[in-house]
Amino acid sequence: MLQEKVEILWNKEVGGLYYRLGLKCDEGFADTKPGQFVMVRISDSYNPLLRRPFSIHRLIEENGNVRGFEILFKVVGKGTTILSGLREGGFVDVLGPLGRGFVIPENFQSTFIVAGGIGVAPLFFLASDLMRAGVDSSKIQMFIGGRSKEDLLCIDEIKAMGFPVHISTDDGSLGEKALVTEIVKNKLTNTRPDMIFACGPSPMMKAVAGIAEKENISCQVSLETMMACGMGACLGCAVEKKESSDKYLHTCLDGPVFDAAILKI
Amino acid sequence: MKKEKVDLKTDIGGIELKNPVMTASGTFGYGSEYDDTIDLNRLGAIVVKGLSLEASPGNPPPRVVETASGMLNAIGLENVGIKRFIKEKLPFLQTLQSPTIVNIYGKSVEDYIELASQIDDIEDISGIEVNISCPNVKAGGVAFGVEPIAAYNVVNGVREKTSKPVMVKLTPNVTDITEIAKSVEDAGADSVSLVNTLTGMAIDIDTRKPILANITGGLSGPAIKPVALRMVWQVAQKINIPVIGIGGIMTAEDALEFLIAGASAIQVGTANFVNPKSTIDILDGIINYLEEKNIPSIRDLIGCMEV
Repeated sequence: MLQEKVEILWNKEVGGLYYRLGLKCDEGFADTKPGQFVMVRISDSYNPLLRRPFSIHRLIEENGNVRGFEILFKVVGKGTTILSGLREGGFVDVLGPLGRGFVIPENFQSTFIVAGGIGVAPLFFLASDLMRAGVDSSKIQMFIGGRSKEDLLCIDEIKAMGFPVHISTDDGSLGEKALVTEIVKNKLTNTRPDMIFACGPSPMMKAVAGIAEKENISCQVSLETMMACGMGACLGCAVEKKESSDKYLHTCLDGPVFDAAILKI
Repeated sequence: MKKEKVDLKTDIGGIELKNPVMTASGTFGYGSEYDDTIDLNRLGAIVVKGLSLEASPGNPPPRVVETASGMLNAIGLENVGIKRFIKEKLPFLQTLQSPTIVNIYGKSVEDYIELASQIDDIEDISGIEVNISCPNVKAGGVAFGVEPIAAYNVVNGVREKTSKPVMVKLTPNVTDITEIAKSVEDAGADSVSLVNTLTGMAIDIDTRKPILANITGGLSGPAIKPVALRMVWQVAQKINIPVIGIGGIMTAEDALEFLIAGASAIQVGTANFVNPKSTIDILDGIINYLEEKNIPSIRDLIGCMEV
């Protein structure tokens, strides 16, 4: 884990409220796993005070060496508004990589990757990692949903990876007019993956976990919770475990990627 | 490591610290969480997460939310319990040169007494911080900290069971914090640490629900510093045991204000979340200040405010 002021390589608006922020970091990120995150201190000001957690969207490589990473973020509040205004050459303080990423089972037969809105950020990293590891594209199907077409990100790049990509929007502005989870459910009637990887808003995570449980398919979900430190000290990021209502796990250390079967979500 | 030419030693009531920078309970885990980011041996003392007799799961989420220049938390004292602490967490702390101070909380006076007796014969625990000020647990905690007689009874009970230095952590959520401070001094406390968090709340105007599952939480961070500083100054005037200043200390300048107001040492809390290296930055800043001002000893600074 590294804590450092790092240089902003780029901060590009990618439509609507979404930005891609490239950060220069020559050390510490070479072994980053998809699903891991960083805590970013956006300014030296006390308002906003706390760091903000962002999943790592992709690694920036040059001549085979990792020289930084990119985060994909949506402007949702004060912190991300300030972040969207930062420019190339500026600096932010980064703590990371943090947490546990997705666990790819050995010899898996097939997987569904399910993304909702900004949840595509770590799943893009996961999908590219799988392809890079030589996984046959026939083993992967990806489902990407959002409220509207502006909320669907990285579509062209993901399509170029070569596996089937199912697109849906709540308003029908792109792909099928349906919730991403409905598309997943339909697809499950004729295909059965042995692993589902998912990241998206809480109601979607709940729905995906429910589908996986019903169909008895392993499922890993990447969760987002409010947290102060990102390193196991504040204990603010509790998530409830299934078997007993009074036991908690912590998103920062035990997650943010969890086996959905152990969570009460 | 910076060479320390100035004398940073400070007495906090039965423990002499090598410097006045401590960590605040609940913001530093059990120490090991910060082993990757800082040299723990440079700390004046490490105060660990509040411990109860039995492990406690804490409150349901959401537990934290940021507010203007601060944060609200309602963790609810999630902890591994004293037995697992001694077995699993203490061995790491024992490898350090910095003293460990154990923060304890109970649901009854008997709980506090039992905790104190379990700790008393463990050599590598240098002191006990008695938490009578957590606003986020239903039973105990702050209930003992808002009433002078209840506070006296807890501290008196602990005092009888331990020869270790006893520091009592006070809540700011009272009419007159000096009354509570005097009461715990009478009960045999070796020092007081203040302040714990200020009770607050935040509401989601779209759902019209409280943001924290616990409804209320404790406010910490720079937002509370002026209040904490005022209370430290008031308490330092009224009692004869050392005062440890806590509340929104983010920088060396903040820490120096508390020392000048009368604190013999300080605890760094929320700043650890914002910048995990805060404690060390604050320590280096204090050293620079003393060197630049040609102040030979930190003790020359404590309580030196001129009115």
